[in-house]
Amino acid sequence: MKLLPETLLVAGVGIALGFAANALSPRGLELKRNYFPSGATPVPISPQVISPAHPATNAPAGEGSPVAESPVFARLRGKGLQPGTLAEIQQLHADPRFALGAIVFLDDRDHEYAEGHVPGAYQFFHYRAQEFLPTVLPVLQAAEKIVVYCGGGTCEDSEFAALMLTEIGVPREKLIIYVGGMKEWKANQLPLELGERNSGRLAPAAK
Amino acid sequence: MTAFMTHPIAKSEYVRLLLRWVIGGLFIYMGLNKALHPVEFLKLVRQYEMVQQPWLLNSLAGVLPWFEVFCGALLVAGVWRRGAACVAVLMLVPFTIIVARRALAIHAAQGTPFCDIKFDCGCGAGEVVICHKLLENSLLILGALWLTLQPDRLLTLKRSVATPSPVTAV
Repeated sequence: MKLLPETLLVAGVGIALGFAANALSPRGLELKRNYFPSGATPVPISPQVISPAHPATNAPAGEGSPVAESPVFARLRGKGLQPGTLAEIQQLHADPRFALGAIVFLDDRDHEYAEGHVPGAYQFFHYRAQEFLPTVLPVLQAAEKIVVYCGGGTCEDSEFAALMLTEIGVPREKLIIYVGGMKEWKANQLPLELGERNSGRLAPAAK
Repeated sequence: MTAFMTHPIAKSEYVRLLLRWVIGGLFIYMGLNKALHPVEFLKLVRQYEMVQQPWLLNSLAGVLPWFEVFCGALLVAGVWRRGAACVAVLMLVPFTIIVARRALAIHAAQGTPFCDIKFDCGCGAGEVVICHKLLENSLLILGALWLTLQPDRLLTLKRSVATPSPVTAV
């Protein structure tokens, strides 16, 4: 066979098989879904390191802790989302309403969740939202405050998850984005829950 | 009597066979790494800011890894070998340019020496030193180009199964 027809044949069959494999794969992507809602811009090429020389006024300065005046906080406020510092998040976690389900924590990470999450946090990996919504949605409807976090650092997933939740009817004012995320939580050696939610297996975070 | 016995196989054909298996194997490995973790690949593709429409971005991230695996399998099996090698070149060239452009942007923004730049380019092998990646891709492009332009007879399924060679027909 001549080169051009053979190349076109490979390309055509390959693309068709690629679409079929993506559709059949349990981890396949939903082609029409917007995983990055509200036109949020991707993180800059060089991840911004927030200087620990300027600690937040109301949060202990952990390793890589974002400060309340950082561009990330401003961006979130610009989208009508409420960012939270470590001190505020710790306060919410210690609040008696947390045990009653009026304050809910959502962890927007995949397999990392089982390796350690904020004790009592629900997993909500928004890229596979349909898997988690049946469990999480009734809890969110009853909650007064919802704290969403992801890996921290340059991770934007908590922001996308929050925006996605607003699209399905969760009031924006309920949502708080924990910007420092798991990176900051661990850097401050706060307790971690291993495995499933309420597994009872707690471990101090390694620095 | 087989073709091997009547027409001695040139050494270059063995080299091309090896090359096919190396390039094909790499495509399968890298493709599967991405196909099994499509969300991670989706995030990396997004960072290149090549496409804005969600369906196009999702299609790229969802389909490309399987496409890569398919091309790799064709190269390993020796089926539609020249077409698969040509497609490999057509994928590798723009991808290498995009990775190089991103590395240049980091170099310009941070002033980091070019060969010290390290990031996850979405190639399927995690974080890589950019100079190594560019060298590796250049070699792969040259190899795939050679496979595209040169015919070979060794362990190509199409020739040995689908089309009897003129020599075996005699």
